[in-house]
Amino acid sequence: MQIAYYPGCTLHASSELYDIQCKKVLKHLGIELKEIEDWNCCGATSASKTDNFLAVALPARNLGIADASGLSEMLIPCSSCYNRTLVSQKILSEDTELKNKINAELSKKVQGKIRISSILDILVSKANSGEIAEKSIKKLEGLKPACYYGCLLTRFPHDIKISDNIENPQGMETVCKALGAEPLDWSYKTDCCGASATVNDTDTALFLMSQIIKDALARGANCFVTTCPMCQMNMDMYQDQVSERYGIQKKFPVFFITELLGIAMGFTPQEMQIDRHFVDSLGLLKELKLYE
Amino acid sequence: MSSPVLQFRPELSQPLIQEVMDRSGQNLLACYQCRRCAAGCPVGEETGLTPDRLIRMIIFGEKEEALNNLLVWKCVACYTCGTRCPNNIQTARINETLKQISKEAHIEPLLPKVSTFHDAFLRSTSHFGRVNELEFIGLYEMQNAKKELKHGGGWKTVVAEMKNQAKLGISMMKKKRIHFRLDKIKRLSEIKRLYKKARDKAGG
Repeated sequence: MQIAYYPGCTLHASSELYDIQCKKVLKHLGIELKEIEDWNCCGATSASKTDNFLAVALPARNLGIADASGLSEMLIPCSSCYNRTLVSQKILSEDTELKNKINAELSKKVQGKIRISSILDILVSKANSGEIAEKSIKKLEGLKPACYYGCLLTRFPHDIKISDNIENPQGMETVCKALGAEPLDWSYKTDCCGASATVNDTDTALFLMSQIIKDALARGANCFVTTCPMCQMNMDMYQDQVSERYGIQKKFPVFFITELLGIAMGFTPQEMQIDRHFVDSLGLLKELKLYE
Repeated sequence: MSSPVLQFRPELSQPLIQEVMDRSGQNLLACYQCRRCAAGCPVGEETGLTPDRLIRMIIFGEKEEALNNLLVWKCVACYTCGTRCPNNIQTARINETLKQISKEAHIEPLLPKVSTFHDAFLRSTSHFGRVNELEFIGLYEMQNAKKELKHGGGWKTVVAEMKNQAKLGISMMKKKRIHFRLDKIKRLSEIKRLYKKARDKAGG
């Protein structure tokens, strides 16, 4: 099966590993990702903080390209891109005048046909159908992830309905259980890591992350798992700073959900590029005998 | 809220409420001060101001305070307030609107780095159609240093910031998480036209 794919800027740069993993893991599940041609930056949350028009118009261009691709569904793995693109699609479906104004500048017009999926939308259905368990050759026994959703996968600045529970989502847990891991119940799964505040308001971000890490520690987690490249980057790259400032001894690998799938499917951590994490993540995999 | 005495001055209130409601698309008058937003705000404790208070400020026409408070600038856009609001008020969008008003009025933000960051992000997008992280961080740090030298902490702050960024940069390089190839789209003219439309709209 072929579906359209919007990687977004981050998956072409600092989180390139996530791009590689998504393609690899989904191919193993029988899904071929067709990257849409000439896509542009969605504007992320910066556009909505600066200019209402661009916040809708930038993702709109990608929607037009996706609509013209002939495919019916598009995967957007990055939570920020996913959020902004869904919001743009919704606003354009309600505001014909704005849609016409934007379409006037586009070579591929927004039609509003494409169905946008998060990585969890796809993986949960593959977990429920049994395909994930079927394709897994290793059980992730002993892995106790704190499933970390962050903000933008479940909460939108617009009236958008999602299939999961907003306050206590379960999609990632469903996937982790299908892999034989033991996801934990915890309180900070949808709390904010600070997002871009790590760069422009570091103290605030470090404090927010400290609360998330402390709760995971108290619950007995041995790692985080996430679907958002921003959450992964922050919690991974800044973990040393957070731990030092807030006196946290234990270190937590921060896995992308695709990495857990890859390991279970028999890929090596190097093939999954887990060696590109900042916090050592191979140690835990070795300890659990998931990697020699 | 540091306001001395609550005074209702319709000549101040009305235009501010109207502008914020129009631009944010949020019905501020629906707020009945239940404070669910306040309970969920991750930065509320630090800012000393929560979304419900901000809405009151706007209703009382306190424009200066509404633009110059820590909540507007420290809001991490997690959208918890809006998701929990029983009346569907997206306070994060009110914050976004206040940031925009502040920018258009050329008011120096309480946290200049925040607006510098988002401006640099959008500028980077306008150059190549995609954000190139190195270019973006370069734009951000340059603008930031300029501001620091002009208003803020001077050379020491600039050097400390550069050192910190260099350290992060090196650790990213070690993990092969810096991307050196320039990512550029083919039909960049479409992006330029969208930016022009945005500017024309803001001007008119």
